[in-house]
Amino acid sequence: MKSISELTDFYYNRLYPELKILEEQRKTIKKRVINIGIIYLLFVALISFYLYQNVSFDILSFFLIFALAGTKWLYSYLIRDYSIDFKNKIIAPLITEIDENLQYSPHLHILASDFNNSRLFRTRPDRISGNDYVKGEIDGTAIEFSDLLAEKKHTDSKGRESWERVFLGLFIVSEFPKKFHGQTVVLPDSAQKIFGDLVGGWLQKNNTSRNELVKMDNVEFEKEFVVYSTDQIEARYILTPAMMQKLLHFKKKTKHPIYVSFIGGKIYLAIEYNSDMFEASVFHSLLEYKIAMEYIQTLHLAVGIVEELKLNQKLWSKL
Amino acid sequence: MSTPLIIIIVLAIVLILMYNSLVAKKNQVDNIFATIDAQLKKRYDLIPNLVASVSKYMEHEKSILEDITKLRSEANKPNISQKEKIDLDAKISSALGSIMIAVENYPDLKANENVIHLQHSLNEVEAQIAAARRAYNQAVTDYNNALEMIPTNIMANAMGYRQKELFVIPENERKNIDVGELFNR
Repeated sequence: MKSISELTDFYYNRLYPELKILEEQRKTIKKRVINIGIIYLLFVALISFYLYQNVSFDILSFFLIFALAGTKWLYSYLIRDYSIDFKNKIIAPLITEIDENLQYSPHLHILASDFNNSRLFRTRPDRISGNDYVKGEIDGTAIEFSDLLAEKKHTDSKGRESWERVFLGLFIVSEFPKKFHGQTVVLPDSAQKIFGDLVGGWLQKNNTSRNELVKMDNVEFEKEFVVYSTDQIEARYILTPAMMQKLLHFKKKTKHPIYVSFIGGKIYLAIEYNSDMFEASVFHSLLEYKIAMEYIQTLHLAVGIVEELKLNQKLWSKL
Repeated sequence: MSTPLIIIIVLAIVLILMYNSLVAKKNQVDNIFATIDAQLKKRYDLIPNLVASVSKYMEHEKSILEDITKLRSEANKPNISQKEKIDLDAKISSALGSIMIAVENYPDLKANENVIHLQHSLNEVEAQIAAARRAYNQAVTDYNNALEMIPTNIMANAMGYRQKELFVIPENERKNIDVGELFNR
């Protein structure tokens, strides 16, 4: 796999002609977004003022909700062509450069069944959306990942719908080299952080919606994560001291909460970025180092889990 | 209901809960030990095969091979205590480790498909034993804690429970994946 610096070189050298064209496109779009945005805002403000003066407050709030949805739609409409160009000309070549076995589909995402099978989130979502789906084999290990947004529908007593976000971020599914039968889930340790060891530990132990609590023998790991499993021994067979170190290291690298589970011969890894990754930057230059690094690092991190967690090691044979 | 009666009922419930939690902890330790036992047996079964495949090549390590065969027959004796099993396991682990390192010195062995397969099987059992040992140590720690902590210590004393010994996990076990990496070189 290519290193981050090799990818940065690729981005600034090989992709430079495309970046330059896109950068021009971006500047025009930025102007257009700002201009149309101002007109739209004035328009909304005018109508709001009229509604506030002459009609009821209820209608006003209703209108504002519509206006908000309109903003989102208008924005994505304005940047659509640019966004598609960006994905085809920048993200797609970057992914092929990382490894030519990887296939990129900008409009697909990880299946809802994979999300539900992972058992990472207790809330079963009613709607799954996403984009930037990548699938392939790294060093003989199958891997797929995509941006994913999972939401749950709530209907209040007045019949109004609202959507609660269950997860937004990068969702990775890969083969796991060891054979196992049960389910092991590794979650960020929020209870112990908020309530301390004694109360937090008690809460974790009595979490009825999860399997048995597994206490791990790595203090740092125990502090960051909480492990639930159907099998005390199997959980430790999967989470070896080396694997715990690697997960800790991975967590430090992502700087975001990570959720990991081992079910049905697969490892599921969800990184909660709380934003849609690999989207074309409109207000910052594509040539900016920080922006470039965000694309490169995120991709490198996702594809890199095979090497990072040594998922390509086939040292164990089934007995 | 009178106050003394309520106190007695509450006390009885507390005592029952304490008793049950102690029994559960003890059984957890025994259950996990049974798993370790089964896995240790799996590993013992691999030893004759390993010795047979490597003995033709290994001239200088004859003594280790003899040792390990002896240790294996000892471990297979009936009626040995948990503590003896733990001690034997530590010895066999270190002997197997030295054999595996010695294999490195014999290019023919390193490339031998039978040996590679054995190494993978041993890696697998070792990984499972390591996991079971860690689970056992956690269960024993929970059990021993209950034996020392107030108020369960009083109950445990009355029940005649004794502290149990932990498996000592050798330093090289903690890096068992690195040992595996040696073979990939």
